[in-house]
Amino acid sequence: MVRNKTLLLVVRLILGGLFVYAGAVKVLDPLDFAQDIRNYRLVGPSLSFIAAIVLPWLEILAGLALILGIWMRGAALVVSGLLVFFIILTLVTMIRGLDVDCGCFGAVSRKSGWGVILEDLGMLALGLVLLVKERTGTRTRCTCPPTR
Amino acid sequence: MKDAGRILRQALALGALSLIVAAAVQFPLVQRFVRGEFRESFFQAAEFPGIRLVTLAEAEELWASGAAVILDARAAGFFDQGHIPGARNVSAAEPGQALPAGLRGAAKDGALLVYCEGGDCQSSLALAKRLHDEGFRDIRVFSGGFEEWTKAGLPEEKGHGQE
Repeated sequence: MVRNKTLLLVVRLILGGLFVYAGAVKVLDPLDFAQDIRNYRLVGPSLSFIAAIVLPWLEILAGLALILGIWMRGAALVVSGLLVFFIILTLVTMIRGLDVDCGCFGAVSRKSGWGVILEDLGMLALGLVLLVKERTGTRTRCTCPPTR
Repeated sequence: MKDAGRILRQALALGALSLIVAAAVQFPLVQRFVRGEFRESFFQAAEFPGIRLVTLAEAEELWASGAAVILDARAAGFFDQGHIPGARNVSAAEPGQALPAGLRGAAKDGALLVYCEGGDCQSSLALAKRLHDEGFRDIRVFSGGFEEWTKAGLPEEKGHGQE
């Protein structure tokens, strides 16, 4: 049971920080990231381009939301959803035997493989903890009686 | 779950916000995309005037005529499993790796045909850019790569080939 507020804050800062960083390095070179996506050979160049423009900002905004504590569980859902997608993508890539850069952290990325999956699983665990355990915001504030 | 709707709305709002911010920040790139750029590859062609992409037909012609030095940009393991006959392995994954001796003395305006696995994979373009920096000015990137080559039933060679 994760009831400790401080621990949840640490989890938010770590996960949020990682996502902001991952998004920021991709924003700096969107064409490079578009090429990374294209290398997976799942979508065509146009879709790769659009994903390369939007995905980094989704990572940054979700990461920022986690850090700042705004829309936290929505952000945790986005982050967890992205990580599930990345894990499946990496597995499919390994099964297809493709030799590609994961594209996870821009220029410091490495080859898709078990290391990437383990890393994503670790982050997914943190994301799910936040999604399930984080209880803040409007829920506790409303003490109004039920209306008829 | 009572919160499910709220959480989903937050997630969707984050998605919509990302779309807006991305379009605003990358507006110049988006404009170029709308005008028809980045539909085939993502390198800034103006920065590398000596690089151009070629199709399978052009690659085959260059190979058959022997008009170009063929360079395989994949890792050595993949190269050994099969490559275009006569190709040399210059793995782009090792930036410190010296160019093959034959290439160092080669005419800078001689044609080079570069490929990797396929699907506009990055290593052939990365190698092409590096060769461009070395002064080569006729670099053709076969973006279909080895996958398209073998699918077309063209011959391949196994083992180390020539260095």
